[in-house]
Amino acid sequence: MRRLLVLPTTRAGWGLLIAFVALIVMGTWPVIGWVNRATLVLGLPLMVVWSYLVIFACVAVMVVGNHIVERDNHE
Amino acid sequence: MNSVWPLSITLAYVAIVMMIGLRARHKGANMNSLEEWGVAGRSMGPVMLYLLIAAGSVSAYTFMGAPGWAYSKGVAVFYVATYLAYLALIAWYFGPKVWQFGAEFGHVTQASAIADRYQSPALGALAALVMAVGSIAYAVLQTIGSAYILFVMSGGLIPVWLGVVLVLACIAVYLYASGQRAIGRTNAFQGMLMLMVAWAVGMWAVHSATGGLSFAGVFERIQAEHPEFLTLPGASGDMSYSFWTTSIIISMLSFMPPVWTQWMSASSARTIRRSATWLPTYYVVILPMVVVGFIGIFSLPELVRADTVALEYAMQQLPVVLVGLLGAGTLAASMSSSEPFIHSVSLSLSKDVIQPLLKLSNAMTGRLARLMIVPIMALVIAPLAIAEPGSLVMILLVGLGFASQVLPAFIGMFFWPRASRLGVMAGIVAGFLVTVAFTTLWSHPLGIHAGFWGLMINLPVFIGVSLITPATNADVVERFFRIAAPRGLTHLGKASR
Repeated sequence: MRRLLVLPTTRAGWGLLIAFVALIVMGTWPVIGWVNRATLVLGLPLMVVWSYLVIFACVAVMVVGNHIVERDNHE
Repeated sequence: MNSVWPLSITLAYVAIVMMIGLRARHKGANMNSLEEWGVAGRSMGPVMLYLLIAAGSVSAYTFMGAPGWAYSKGVAVFYVATYLAYLALIAWYFGPKVWQFGAEFGHVTQASAIADRYQSPALGALAALVMAVGSIAYAVLQTIGSAYILFVMSGGLIPVWLGVVLVLACIAVYLYASGQRAIGRTNAFQGMLMLMVAWAVGMWAVHSATGGLSFAGVFERIQAEHPEFLTLPGASGDMSYSFWTTSIIISMLSFMPPVWTQWMSASSARTIRRSATWLPTYYVVILPMVVVGFIGIFSLPELVRADTVALEYAMQQLPVVLVGLLGAGTLAASMSSSEPFIHSVSLSLSKDVIQPLLKLSNAMTGRLARLMIVPIMALVIAPLAIAEPGSLVMILLVGLGFASQVLPAFIGMFFWPRASRLGVMAGIVAGFLVTVAFTTLWSHPLGIHAGFWGLMINLPVFIGVSLITPATNADVVERFFRIAAPRGLTHLGKASR
Protein backbone atom coordinates (compact mmCIF):
# COMPACT_ATOMS: atom_id res chain seq x y z
CA MET A 1 0.00 0.00 0.00
CA ARG A 2 2.94 2.30 0.66
CA ARG A 3 3.60 2.86 -3.08
CA LEU A 4 -0.01 3.23 -4.13
CA LEU A 5 -1.00 6.67 -5.33
CA VAL A 6 -3.96 8.35 -7.01
CA LEU A 7 -2.90 9.39 -10.50
CA PRO A 8 -4.84 9.92 -13.74
CA THR A 9 -5.67 6.66 -15.48
CA THR A 10 -6.64 7.95 -18.91
CA ARG A 11 -5.03 10.15 -21.55
CA ALA A 12 -7.74 12.78 -21.02
CA GLY A 13 -7.09 12.68 -17.28
CA TRP A 14 -3.38 13.28 -17.81
CA GLY A 15 -4.23 16.10 -20.22
CA LEU A 16 -6.38 17.76 -17.55
CA LEU A 17 -3.65 17.38 -14.93
CA ILE A 18 -1.12 18.98 -17.28
CA ALA A 19 -3.57 21.81 -18.04
CA PHE A 20 -4.12 22.45 -14.30
CA VAL A 21 -0.37 22.57 -13.68
CA ALA A 22 0.09 24.87 -16.69
CA LEU A 23 -2.51 27.27 -15.25
CA ILE A 24 -0.65 27.42 -11.92
CA VAL A 25 2.63 27.98 -13.77
CA MET A 26 1.05 30.81 -15.81
CA GLY A 27 0.19 32.75 -12.66
CA THR A 28 3.43 32.28 -10.75
CA TRP A 29 7.19 32.71 -11.11
CA PRO A 30 8.98 32.50 -13.53
CA VAL A 31 6.18 33.18 -16.04
CA ILE A 32 4.88 36.14 -14.04
CA GLY A 33 8.35 37.69 -14.36
CA TRP A 34 8.04 37.69 -18.16
CA VAL A 35 4.90 39.87 -18.05
CA ASN A 36 6.15 42.12 -15.26
CA ARG A 37 6.45 45.24 -17.39
CA ALA A 38 5.03 48.75 -16.95
CA THR A 39 3.22 48.61 -20.29
CA LEU A 40 -0.48 48.98 -21.00
CA VAL A 41 -2.57 46.59 -23.08
CA LEU A 42 -6.11 47.71 -23.99
CA GLY A 43 -5.65 50.52 -21.47
CA LEU A 44 -4.87 48.16 -18.58
CA PRO A 45 -1.51 47.23 -17.03
CA LEU A 46 -0.02 44.08 -18.59
CA MET A 47 0.00 42.36 -15.16
CA VAL A 48 -3.74 42.98 -14.81
CA VAL A 49 -4.51 41.71 -18.32
CA TRP A 50 -2.37 38.62 -17.69
CA SER A 51 -4.06 37.93 -14.32
CA TYR A 52 -7.51 38.00 -15.95
CA LEU A 53 -6.22 35.87 -18.83
CA VAL A 54 -5.19 33.25 -16.27
CA ILE A 55 -8.53 33.61 -14.49
CA PHE A 56 -10.56 33.05 -17.67
CA ALA A 57 -8.22 30.27 -18.79
CA CYS A 58 -9.19 28.51 -15.55
CA VAL A 59 -12.84 28.70 -16.62
CA ALA A 60 -12.00 27.33 -20.09
CA VAL A 61 -10.06 24.37 -18.67
CA MET A 62 -12.86 23.51 -16.25
CA VAL A 63 -15.44 23.69 -19.07
CA VAL A 64 -13.35 21.16 -21.02
CA GLY A 65 -12.97 19.12 -17.82
CA ASN A 66 -16.74 18.98 -17.38
CA HIS A 67 -17.12 17.56 -20.87
CA ILE A 68 -14.50 14.90 -20.16
CA VAL A 69 -15.93 13.91 -16.78
CA GLU A 70 -19.49 13.75 -18.09
CA ARG A 71 -18.48 11.92 -21.28
CA ASP A 72 -16.58 9.32 -19.27
CA ASN A 73 -19.50 9.18 -16.84
CA HIS A 74 -17.52 9.13 -13.61
CA GLU A 75 -17.59 11.44 -10.63
CA MET B 1 -21.24 63.73 6.08
CA ASN B 2 -24.55 65.51 6.62
CA SER B 3 -26.90 63.59 4.32
CA VAL B 4 -29.16 60.91 5.77
CA TRP B 5 -29.02 58.90 2.53
CA PRO B 6 -25.84 56.87 3.16
CA LEU B 7 -27.01 55.61 6.55
CA SER B 8 -30.57 55.05 5.30
CA ILE B 9 -29.35 52.94 2.35
CA THR B 10 -26.99 50.97 4.58
CA LEU B 11 -29.69 50.27 7.17
CA ALA B 12 -32.17 49.36 4.41
CA TYR B 13 -29.63 46.78 3.23
CA VAL B 14 -29.40 45.35 6.78
CA ALA B 15 -33.21 45.11 6.97
CA ILE B 16 -33.41 43.31 3.59
CA VAL B 17 -30.70 40.84 4.60
CA MET B 18 -32.53 40.13 7.88
CA MET B 19 -35.74 39.44 5.99
CA ILE B 20 -34.03 37.17 3.45
CA GLY B 21 -32.16 35.29 6.17
CA LEU B 22 -35.26 34.72 8.29
CA ARG B 23 -37.36 33.56 5.33
CA ALA B 24 -34.68 31.16 4.14
CA ARG B 25 -35.75 28.20 6.32
CA HIS B 26 -37.91 25.56 4.74
CA LYS B 27 -41.36 25.04 6.22
CA GLY B 28 -41.40 21.84 8.23
CA ALA B 29 -37.61 21.44 8.16
CA ASN B 30 -36.06 20.30 11.44
CA MET B 31 -33.54 23.07 12.05
CA ASN B 32 -32.12 21.21 15.04
CA SER B 33 -30.73 18.55 12.74
CA LEU B 34 -27.06 18.87 11.77
CA GLU B 35 -27.91 17.96 8.16
CA GLU B 36 -30.45 20.77 7.90
CA TRP B 37 -28.87 23.57 9.96
CA GLY B 38 -25.32 22.59 9.06
CA VAL B 39 -25.43 21.77 5.34
CA ALA B 40 -28.91 22.92 4.27
CA GLY B 41 -30.06 19.34 3.74
CA ARG B 42 -27.49 19.07 0.90
CA SER B 43 -29.93 20.91 -1.35
CA MET B 44 -28.24 23.91 -2.97
CA GLY B 45 -28.39 24.32 -6.74
CA PRO B 46 -25.55 25.60 -8.96
CA VAL B 47 -26.51 29.30 -9.03
CA MET B 48 -27.03 29.49 -5.27
CA LEU B 49 -23.77 27.63 -4.66
CA TYR B 50 -21.92 29.91 -7.10
CA LEU B 51 -23.07 33.02 -5.26
CA LEU B 52 -22.59 31.40 -1.84
CA ILE B 53 -18.93 30.57 -2.48
CA ALA B 54 -18.24 33.75 -4.48
CA ALA B 55 -19.70 36.15 -1.91
CA GLY B 56 -18.11 34.20 0.92
CA SER B 57 -14.66 34.53 -0.61
CA VAL B 58 -15.05 38.24 -1.43
CA SER B 59 -14.67 39.86 1.96
CA ALA B 60 -14.43 43.48 3.09
CA TYR B 61 -10.94 43.15 1.62
CA THR B 62 -12.40 43.74 -1.86
CA PHE B 63 -13.95 47.08 -0.89
CA MET B 64 -11.32 48.29 1.58
CA GLY B 65 -8.14 46.20 1.54
CA ALA B 66 -7.82 45.72 -2.23
CA PRO B 67 -8.18 49.42 -3.14
CA GLY B 68 -5.79 50.07 -0.23
CA TRP B 69 -3.23 47.63 -1.66
CA ALA B 70 -3.59 49.21 -5.12
CA TYR B 71 -3.10 52.64 -3.49
CA SER B 72 0.01 51.62 -1.54
CA LYS B 73 1.55 48.82 -3.66
CA GLY B 74 -0.08 48.75 -7.14
CA VAL B 75 -0.67 45.65 -9.30
CA ALA B 76 0.65 43.37 -6.54
CA VAL B 77 -2.98 43.28 -5.35
CA PHE B 78 -3.86 40.95 -8.24
CA TYR B 79 -2.29 37.98 -6.51
CA VAL B 80 -5.65 37.78 -4.70
CA ALA B 81 -7.67 37.47 -7.92
CA THR B 82 -5.24 34.82 -9.17
CA TYR B 83 -5.42 32.62 -6.06
CA LEU B 84 -9.20 32.96 -5.91
CA ALA B 85 -9.35 31.54 -9.45
CA TYR B 86 -7.06 28.69 -8.37
CA LEU B 87 -9.38 28.01 -5.43
CA ALA B 88 -12.07 27.34 -8.05
CA LEU B 89 -9.80 24.65 -9.56
CA ILE B 90 -9.47 23.16 -6.08
CA ALA B 91 -13.26 23.23 -5.66
CA TRP B 92 -13.72 21.64 -9.10
CA TYR B 93 -11.49 18.67 -8.29
CA PHE B 94 -12.00 18.13 -4.55
CA GLY B 95 -15.51 19.51 -4.05
CA PRO B 96 -17.39 16.60 -5.71
CA LYS B 97 -15.36 14.03 -3.74
CA VAL B 98 -15.95 15.89 -0.46
CA TRP B 99 -19.66 16.00 -1.28
CA GLN B 100 -19.69 12.22 -1.84
CA PHE B 101 -17.86 11.63 1.44
CA GLY B 102 -20.50 13.74 3.18
CA ALA B 103 -23.46 12.13 1.44
CA GLU B 104 -22.23 8.55 1.97
CA PHE B 105 -20.56 8.80 5.38
CA GLY B 106 -22.70 11.54 6.96
CA HIS B 107 -19.97 14.14 7.44
CA VAL B 108 -21.13 17.72 7.98
CA THR B 109 -17.76 19.26 8.82
CA GLN B 110 -14.19 19.05 7.58
CA ALA B 111 -12.94 17.81 10.97
CA SER B 112 -15.46 14.92 10.98
CA ALA B 113 -14.06 13.79 7.63
CA ILE B 114 -10.53 13.92 9.06
CA ALA B 115 -11.59 12.04 12.21
CA ASP B 116 -13.29 9.38 10.07
CA ARG B 117 -10.44 8.90 7.57
CA TYR B 118 -7.83 8.48 10.30
CA GLN B 119 -10.21 6.83 12.82
CA SER B 120 -9.11 9.42 15.34
CA PRO B 121 -11.60 11.72 17.10
CA ALA B 122 -8.56 13.37 18.74
CA LEU B 123 -7.12 14.37 15.35
CA GLY B 124 -10.56 15.67 14.29
CA ALA B 125 -10.87 17.70 17.49
CA LEU B 126 -7.34 19.06 17.06
CA ALA B 127 -8.12 20.15 13.49
CA ALA B 128 -11.43 21.72 14.60
CA LEU B 129 -9.84 23.64 17.47
CA VAL B 130 -6.90 25.05 15.58
CA MET B 131 -8.96 25.87 12.48
CA ALA B 132 -11.28 27.72 14.88
CA VAL B 133 -8.45 30.12 15.84
CA GLY B 134 -7.98 31.36 12.27
CA SER B 135 -11.73 31.31 11.59
CA ILE B 136 -12.58 33.42 14.64
CA ALA B 137 -9.78 35.91 13.89
CA TYR B 138 -11.17 36.21 10.35
CA ALA B 139 -14.74 36.73 11.60
CA VAL B 140 -13.51 39.35 14.09
CA LEU B 141 -11.71 41.30 11.35
CA GLN B 142 -14.83 41.26 9.17
CA THR B 143 -16.96 42.41 12.13
CA ILE B 144 -14.57 45.30 12.76
CA GLY B 145 -14.97 46.23 9.08
CA SER B 146 -18.77 46.13 9.39
CA ALA B 147 -18.77 48.30 12.51
CA TYR B 148 -16.40 50.78 10.86
CA ILE B 149 -18.77 51.11 7.89
CA LEU B 150 -21.74 51.80 10.17
CA PHE B 151 -19.62 54.36 12.04
CA VAL B 152 -18.69 56.19 8.82
CA MET B 153 -22.14 55.96 7.22
CA SER B 154 -23.80 57.34 10.36
CA GLY B 155 -21.32 60.21 10.55
CA GLY B 156 -20.13 58.88 13.93
CA LEU B 157 -23.63 58.43 15.42
CA ILE B 158 -23.23 54.66 15.64
CA PRO B 159 -20.07 54.04 17.69
CA VAL B 160 -17.96 51.00 16.88
CA TRP B 161 -19.16 49.02 19.93
CA LEU B 162 -22.79 49.55 18.93
CA GLY B 163 -22.02 48.68 15.31
CA VAL B 164 -20.43 45.40 16.45
CA VAL B 165 -23.49 44.56 18.58
CA LEU B 166 -25.94 45.47 15.79
CA VAL B 167 -24.20 43.49 13.07
CA LEU B 168 -23.64 40.40 15.23
CA ALA B 169 -27.21 40.49 16.59
CA CYS B 170 -28.55 40.68 13.05
CA ILE B 171 -26.41 37.73 11.89
CA ALA B 172 -27.24 35.74 15.06
CA VAL B 173 -30.98 36.00 14.49
CA TYR B 174 -31.07 34.66 10.95
CA LEU B 175 -28.19 32.23 11.44
CA TYR B 176 -30.00 30.67 14.41
CA ALA B 177 -33.28 30.56 12.53
CA SER B 178 -32.13 29.26 9.15
CA GLY B 179 -28.49 28.08 9.43
CA GLN B 180 -26.70 27.31 6.16
CA ARG B 181 -29.83 28.15 4.13
CA ALA B 182 -29.67 31.70 5.52
CA ILE B 183 -26.02 31.94 4.53
CA GLY B 184 -26.89 30.70 1.03
CA ARG B 185 -29.76 33.12 0.45
CA THR B 186 -28.12 36.17 2.04
CA ASN B 187 -24.84 35.50 0.23
CA ALA B 188 -26.74 35.27 -3.06
CA PHE B 189 -28.26 38.70 -2.45
CA GLN B 190 -24.99 40.12 -1.10
CA GLY B 191 -23.04 38.68 -4.05
CA MET B 192 -25.27 40.40 -6.60
CA LEU B 193 -25.27 43.65 -4.61
CA MET B 194 -21.46 43.68 -4.37
CA LEU B 195 -21.04 43.14 -8.10
CA MET B 196 -23.44 45.95 -8.93
CA VAL B 197 -22.01 48.37 -6.36
CA ALA B 198 -18.37 47.70 -7.27
CA TRP B 199 -18.94 48.45 -10.95
CA ALA B 200 -21.20 51.47 -10.29
CA VAL B 201 -18.69 53.01 -7.88
CA GLY B 202 -15.72 52.12 -10.11
CA MET B 203 -17.21 53.57 -13.28
CA TRP B 204 -18.43 56.72 -11.54
CA ALA B 205 -15.02 57.23 -9.94
CA VAL B 206 -13.31 56.80 -13.33
CA HIS B 207 -15.69 59.33 -14.87
CA SER B 208 -15.12 61.85 -12.09
CA ALA B 209 -11.32 61.40 -12.29
CA THR B 210 -10.84 61.39 -16.07
CA GLY B 211 -14.07 62.67 -17.63
CA GLY B 212 -14.47 59.38 -19.53
CA LEU B 213 -15.52 55.82 -18.83
CA SER B 214 -12.34 54.03 -19.85
CA PHE B 215 -9.84 52.75 -17.30
CA ALA B 216 -7.10 53.72 -19.79
CA GLY B 217 -7.11 57.37 -18.66
CA VAL B 218 -6.30 56.30 -15.09
CA PHE B 219 -3.53 53.90 -16.02
CA GLU B 220 -1.91 56.18 -18.62
CA ARG B 221 -1.49 58.78 -15.90
CA ILE B 222 -0.10 56.20 -13.46
CA GLN B 223 2.28 54.94 -16.16
CA ALA B 224 3.55 58.46 -16.79
CA GLU B 225 3.85 59.59 -13.17
CA HIS B 226 4.24 56.43 -11.03
CA PRO B 227 5.25 53.43 -13.21
CA GLU B 228 6.46 51.52 -10.13
CA PHE B 229 2.78 50.83 -9.30
CA LEU B 230 2.40 48.81 -12.53
CA THR B 231 4.98 46.12 -11.78
CA LEU B 232 6.22 43.85 -9.01
CA PRO B 233 7.62 44.27 -6.37
CA GLY B 234 5.18 47.20 -6.26
CA ALA B 235 5.56 50.74 -4.96
CA SER B 236 6.31 49.59 -1.41
CA GLY B 237 8.87 47.08 -2.75
CA ASP B 238 7.66 44.14 -0.67
CA MET B 239 5.91 41.88 -3.22
CA SER B 240 8.82 39.94 -4.67
CA TYR B 241 8.31 37.12 -7.20
CA SER B 242 8.94 34.59 -4.45
CA PHE B 243 6.38 36.16 -2.10
CA TRP B 244 3.81 36.47 -4.90
CA THR B 245 4.30 32.82 -5.88
CA THR B 246 4.41 31.30 -2.41
CA SER B 247 1.47 33.42 -1.18
CA ILE B 248 -0.64 32.13 -4.07
CA ILE B 249 0.36 28.50 -3.47
CA ILE B 250 -0.23 28.67 0.28
CA SER B 251 -3.59 30.43 -0.11
CA MET B 252 -4.62 27.87 -2.72
CA LEU B 253 -3.73 24.94 -0.48
CA SER B 254 -5.57 26.28 2.59
CA PHE B 255 -8.72 24.19 2.75
CA MET B 256 -10.79 26.42 5.04
CA PRO B 257 -13.60 24.63 6.92
CA PRO B 258 -16.50 26.88 5.75
CA VAL B 259 -15.68 26.14 2.11
CA TRP B 260 -15.76 22.42 2.89
CA THR B 261 -19.21 22.87 4.49
CA GLN B 262 -20.36 24.85 1.44
CA TRP B 263 -19.32 21.98 -0.86
CA MET B 264 -21.30 19.57 1.29
CA SER B 265 -24.37 21.82 1.00
CA ALA B 266 -24.61 21.23 -2.77
CA SER B 267 -27.46 19.17 -4.20
CA SER B 268 -25.03 16.92 -6.12
CA ALA B 269 -21.39 16.43 -7.05
CA ARG B 270 -22.17 17.78 -10.53
CA THR B 271 -23.59 20.97 -8.99
CA ILE B 272 -20.24 21.74 -7.38
CA ARG B 273 -18.36 21.22 -10.65
CA ARG B 274 -20.81 23.50 -12.50
CA SER B 275 -20.50 26.25 -9.86
CA ALA B 276 -16.73 25.97 -9.59
CA THR B 277 -16.36 26.18 -13.37
CA TRP B 278 -17.87 29.66 -13.51
CA LEU B 279 -16.66 30.87 -10.12
CA PRO B 280 -13.60 32.77 -11.46
CA THR B 281 -15.89 34.98 -13.58
CA TYR B 282 -17.17 36.56 -10.34
CA TYR B 283 -13.74 37.98 -9.59
CA VAL B 284 -14.27 40.78 -12.11
CA VAL B 285 -15.79 42.37 -9.00
CA ILE B 286 -12.25 43.20 -7.83
CA LEU B 287 -11.17 45.21 -10.88
CA PRO B 288 -13.29 48.39 -10.53
CA MET B 289 -12.56 48.73 -6.80
CA VAL B 290 -8.85 48.34 -7.47
CA VAL B 291 -9.11 51.09 -10.11
CA VAL B 292 -10.55 53.38 -7.39
CA GLY B 293 -7.38 52.65 -5.38
CA PHE B 294 -5.24 53.63 -8.39
CA ILE B 295 -7.24 56.87 -8.78
CA GLY B 296 -6.47 57.61 -5.13
CA ILE B 297 -2.72 57.59 -5.90
CA PHE B 298 -3.01 60.93 -7.66
CA SER B 299 -6.30 62.21 -6.14
CA LEU B 300 -5.63 61.53 -2.45
CA PRO B 301 -1.83 61.48 -2.15
CA GLU B 302 -1.77 62.34 1.58
CA LEU B 303 -4.12 59.63 2.85
CA VAL B 304 -3.08 58.24 6.27
CA ARG B 305 -4.91 54.88 6.11
CA ALA B 306 -4.60 53.22 2.69
CA ASP B 307 -7.60 50.92 3.26
CA THR B 308 -9.97 53.91 3.52
CA VAL B 309 -9.10 55.14 0.00
CA ALA B 310 -12.33 53.96 -1.68
CA LEU B 311 -14.56 55.37 1.07
CA GLU B 312 -12.64 58.66 1.25
CA TYR B 313 -12.75 59.10 -2.50
CA ALA B 314 -16.46 58.26 -2.61
CA MET B 315 -17.29 60.72 0.17
CA GLN B 316 -15.36 63.51 -1.56
CA GLN B 317 -16.32 62.90 -5.19
CA LEU B 318 -19.39 60.67 -5.58
CA PRO B 319 -23.12 61.35 -5.08
CA VAL B 320 -24.49 60.48 -1.63
CA VAL B 321 -26.59 57.65 -3.03
CA LEU B 322 -23.47 55.94 -4.36
CA VAL B 323 -21.73 56.52 -1.02
CA GLY B 324 -24.66 54.75 0.65
CA LEU B 325 -24.48 51.90 -1.85
CA LEU B 326 -20.74 51.60 -1.25
CA GLY B 327 -21.48 51.39 2.49
CA ALA B 328 -24.09 48.69 1.86
CA GLY B 329 -21.74 46.84 -0.53
CA THR B 330 -18.86 46.91 1.94
CA LEU B 331 -21.15 45.78 4.75
CA ALA B 332 -22.42 43.00 2.46
CA ALA B 333 -18.85 41.90 1.78
CA SER B 334 -17.90 41.74 5.44
CA MET B 335 -21.13 40.09 6.62
CA SER B 336 -21.16 37.52 3.81
CA SER B 337 -17.64 36.49 4.79
CA SER B 338 -18.02 36.48 8.57
CA GLU B 339 -21.27 34.47 8.78
CA PRO B 340 -19.90 31.27 7.15
CA PHE B 341 -16.95 31.33 9.55
CA ILE B 342 -19.15 31.83 12.63
CA HIS B 343 -21.46 29.04 11.44
CA SER B 344 -18.55 26.73 10.71
CA VAL B 345 -16.85 27.27 14.09
CA SER B 346 -20.11 26.65 15.92
CA LEU B 347 -20.84 23.53 13.90
CA SER B 348 -17.34 22.08 14.21
CA LEU B 349 -16.86 22.79 17.93
CA SER B 350 -20.20 21.12 18.67
CA LYS B 351 -19.78 18.17 16.32
CA ASP B 352 -16.05 17.47 16.52
CA VAL B 353 -15.04 18.61 20.02
CA ILE B 354 -18.01 18.61 22.40
CA GLN B 355 -19.97 15.65 20.98
CA PRO B 356 -17.12 13.09 21.29
CA LEU B 357 -16.10 14.55 24.66
CA LEU B 358 -19.56 14.41 26.26
CA LYS B 359 -20.91 11.51 24.14
CA LEU B 360 -23.90 13.57 23.00
CA SER B 361 -26.55 12.28 20.58
CA ASN B 362 -26.77 13.78 17.09
CA ALA B 363 -30.07 15.46 18.00
CA MET B 364 -28.55 17.09 21.07
CA THR B 365 -25.47 18.13 19.08
CA GLY B 366 -27.69 19.75 16.43
CA ARG B 367 -29.44 21.86 19.08
CA LEU B 368 -26.10 22.71 20.65
CA ALA B 369 -24.58 23.85 17.32
CA ARG B 370 -27.45 26.32 16.78
CA LEU B 371 -27.15 27.73 20.30
CA MET B 372 -23.37 27.83 20.23
CA ILE B 373 -23.34 30.84 17.87
CA VAL B 374 -24.53 33.03 20.77
CA PRO B 375 -21.60 32.46 23.17
CA ILE B 376 -19.13 32.48 20.27
CA MET B 377 -20.40 35.90 19.20
CA ALA B 378 -21.08 37.38 22.64
CA LEU B 379 -18.05 36.10 24.52
CA VAL B 380 -15.37 35.92 21.83
CA ILE B 381 -16.07 37.82 18.61
CA ALA B 382 -17.80 40.91 20.07
CA PRO B 383 -15.23 41.64 22.82
CA LEU B 384 -12.34 41.09 20.40
CA ALA B 385 -13.95 43.27 17.71
CA ILE B 386 -14.60 46.08 20.21
CA ALA B 387 -11.14 45.85 21.78
CA GLU B 388 -9.39 45.52 18.38
CA PRO B 389 -6.23 43.92 19.82
CA GLY B 390 -3.09 44.76 17.91
CA SER B 391 -2.17 41.10 17.64
CA LEU B 392 -5.34 40.19 15.75
CA VAL B 393 -3.80 40.28 12.30
CA MET B 394 -0.96 38.17 13.65
CA ILE B 395 -3.47 35.64 15.05
CA LEU B 396 -5.16 35.57 11.64
CA LEU B 397 -1.88 35.06 9.78
CA VAL B 398 -0.86 32.25 12.11
CA GLY B 399 -4.35 30.76 11.83
CA LEU B 400 -4.32 30.83 8.05
CA GLY B 401 -0.73 29.56 8.05
CA PHE B 402 -2.00 26.62 10.08
CA ALA B 403 -4.82 25.98 7.64
CA SER B 404 -2.29 25.15 4.95
CA GLN B 405 -0.42 22.87 7.38
CA VAL B 406 -3.44 20.53 7.49
CA LEU B 407 -2.58 19.60 3.89
CA PRO B 408 -1.19 16.11 4.84
CA ALA B 409 -4.63 15.15 6.17
CA PHE B 410 -6.04 15.84 2.70
CA ILE B 411 -3.18 14.12 0.86
CA GLY B 412 -4.06 11.04 2.88
CA MET B 413 -7.73 11.46 2.04
CA PHE B 414 -7.41 12.00 -1.72
CA PHE B 415 -4.02 10.74 -2.96
CA TRP B 416 -2.04 8.48 -0.64
CA PRO B 417 -3.73 5.58 1.20
CA ARG B 418 -0.64 4.84 3.29
CA ALA B 419 -0.87 8.18 5.17
CA SER B 420 -1.17 7.44 8.88
CA ARG B 421 -2.75 9.28 11.80
CA LEU B 422 0.61 9.80 13.48
CA GLY B 423 2.20 10.91 10.21
CA VAL B 424 -0.48 13.58 9.76
CA MET B 425 -0.17 14.74 13.37
CA ALA B 426 3.63 14.92 13.19
CA GLY B 427 3.52 16.82 9.90
CA ILE B 428 0.94 19.30 11.20
CA VAL B 429 2.85 19.96 14.44
CA ALA B 430 6.21 20.39 12.65
CA GLY B 431 4.71 22.60 9.95
CA PHE B 432 2.76 24.66 12.46
CA LEU B 433 5.81 25.35 14.64
CA VAL B 434 7.83 26.46 11.60
CA THR B 435 4.96 28.65 10.37
CA VAL B 436 4.53 30.31 13.78
CA ALA B 437 8.30 30.92 14.06
CA PHE B 438 8.55 32.34 10.54
CA THR B 439 5.51 34.56 11.08
CA THR B 440 6.35 35.95 14.51
CA LEU B 441 10.12 35.67 15.06
CA TRP B 442 11.64 35.88 11.60
CA SER B 443 9.02 37.12 9.18
CA HIS B 444 8.93 35.29 5.82
CA PRO B 445 12.67 34.51 5.42
CA LEU B 446 14.13 35.11 1.92
CA GLY B 447 10.79 36.65 0.89
CA ILE B 448 9.12 33.23 1.00
CA HIS B 449 5.76 32.88 2.75
CA ALA B 450 6.03 31.40 6.27
CA GLY B 451 3.36 28.80 5.45
CA PHE B 452 5.45 27.61 2.49
CA TRP B 453 8.46 27.08 4.78
CA GLY B 454 6.12 25.19 7.10
CA LEU B 455 5.02 22.88 4.28
CA MET B 456 8.62 22.19 3.26
CA ILE B 457 9.21 20.71 6.73
CA ASN B 458 5.72 19.34 7.19
CA LEU B 459 5.56 17.14 4.07
CA PRO B 460 8.82 15.16 4.56
CA VAL B 461 7.95 14.63 8.25
CA PHE B 462 4.43 13.49 7.28
CA ILE B 463 5.74 10.99 4.70
CA GLY B 464 8.56 9.69 6.91
CA VAL B 465 6.41 9.17 10.02
CA SER B 466 3.56 7.67 7.96
CA LEU B 467 5.91 5.04 6.52
CA ILE B 468 7.10 3.88 9.95
CA THR B 469 3.77 3.96 11.81
CA PRO B 470 0.65 1.79 11.38
CA ALA B 471 -1.69 2.69 8.52
CA THR B 472 -5.39 3.26 9.09
CA ASN B 473 -7.68 0.23 9.04
CA ALA B 474 -7.83 -1.10 5.45
CA ASP B 475 -11.65 -1.11 5.37
CA VAL B 476 -11.75 2.62 6.10
CA VAL B 477 -9.05 3.39 3.54
CA GLU B 478 -10.88 1.33 0.91
CA ARG B 479 -14.13 3.15 1.71
CA PHE B 480 -12.50 6.57 1.15
CA PHE B 481 -10.51 5.62 -1.94
CA ARG B 482 -13.51 4.05 -3.64
CA ILE B 483 -14.63 7.69 -3.94
CA ALA B 484 -11.24 9.45 -4.22
CA ALA B 485 -9.99 7.03 -6.90
CA PRO B 486 -13.02 5.42 -8.58
CA ARG B 487 -10.80 3.95 -11.32
CA GLY B 488 -8.25 2.49 -8.97
CA LEU B 489 -4.85 3.40 -7.64
CA THR B 490 -1.52 3.47 -9.45
CA HIS B 491 1.42 1.41 -8.25
CA LEU B 492 4.57 3.12 -9.57
CA GLY B 493 3.23 3.24 -13.11
CA LYS B 494 1.25 -0.03 -13.00
CA ALA B 495 -2.54 0.02 -12.75
CA SER B 496 -3.56 -1.63 -9.51
CA ARG B 497 -6.52 -1.93 -7.20
